[in-house]
Amino acid sequence: MDSQTQPRQRLLYLHARTPSVFSEILGYTLIEPVKGFRVEISGGEFEWPYTTVHDAVVDGWQIVQFPHLQSPFSDTDLDVVGYEFILQKMEAIS
Amino acid sequence: MTDTEFLLTDVDVALFLVNGYHVVELDLPAGLNEQISEKLDRLAANPGDAITESVPELWQVVEHPQVRGALISLLGEDYAVNSHRHWHCKLPGSGDMQWHQDGTNHRGTTIDRLLGLYYPHTITADMGPTVIVPGTQFRNAPTDRMATYTNIRGQVPLTVPAGSFAITHYDLWHGTASNRSSVKRHMIKFLFNRTSGNSAPSWNHDPEALKRERDWDARDKAQDAVNILSFGNPLGVSQSDHYKERIIRQACWQELLGNQEQQEASRF
Repeated sequence: MDSQTQPRQRLLYLHARTPSVFSEILGYTLIEPVKGFRVEISGGEFEWPYTTVHDAVVDGWQIVQFPHLQSPFSDTDLDVVGYEFILQKMEAIS
Repeated sequence: MTDTEFLLTDVDVALFLVNGYHVVELDLPAGLNEQISEKLDRLAANPGDAITESVPELWQVVEHPQVRGALISLLGEDYAVNSHRHWHCKLPGSGDMQWHQDGTNHRGTTIDRLLGLYYPHTITADMGPTVIVPGTQFRNAPTDRMATYTNIRGQVPLTVPAGSFAITHYDLWHGTASNRSSVKRHMIKFLFNRTSGNSAPSWNHDPEALKRERDWDARDKAQDAVNILSFGNPLGVSQSDHYKERIIRQACWQELLGNQEQQEASRF
């Protein structure tokens, strides 16, 4: 199998409003398995490919890590935005 | 004393507590922005805190009545200009800077220190604008834990006209986009500190503003301080996070009003 046809792991980090896959996505990071690939904050309008985590699952993404739910229940402390799902697609990248 | 014309309104202050930033488009003397830009273009090295010695015209910006009016409103009449300042020159072709909060994770939930970001030339989307995330100023998140975020719903690129001065809460999440243009992007960051607590509002406060009732039918379109503080949710975060934000911002509001006892009561 050459490098053109060998499936490689595409990664998608989605930060959802709640731990439910049906809640709205607040954060989006796509990482392509391509040498030199870099993520980038948009300086203009960003087109959101999915509205919910479920939308991404419907599109073929598989969840490989669900959100950790050990966040503190203090009524005054806030930390990161949303709940992180990590998804993958195994695909040949030409 | 700054003319009350340049102090913020109740709505401005409420929006700052919700969003964590306020942008002022300065009415500067003709040619000042260009003069500062040209000097920055010619600087061979970054002088760090001494940028105001290399470009003394920057004092006209920091001491402008519109800047002072906004800072007095948020930090009190006796606020201090911190000795730290920095020229952020983003060269053509330079990449983005990922999300971060400045400093370490000793965060407060008060309005005690602010950043001031001055842009001497118009910033377009391809010039590597500063990008901020409204509503994140009360979050205590190690920058390492932001490494898996790239685009965040509600993020705001500061694509602003020349002479803009963005005042942000010190802890607001921020980063920059890449500079894909052919010009240097200049931004000078200043830091301002509160030196004493408020015993009364330091902005153009109207006591009638506090008498508004919560309007559950207009919560997404709130245009008065009471309802902005109650319903503002710029990121669309979850109910539990939103309730916490509301408690913190209302405690800040009471503190800024000078109501120490109510501040304690509403917070705990």
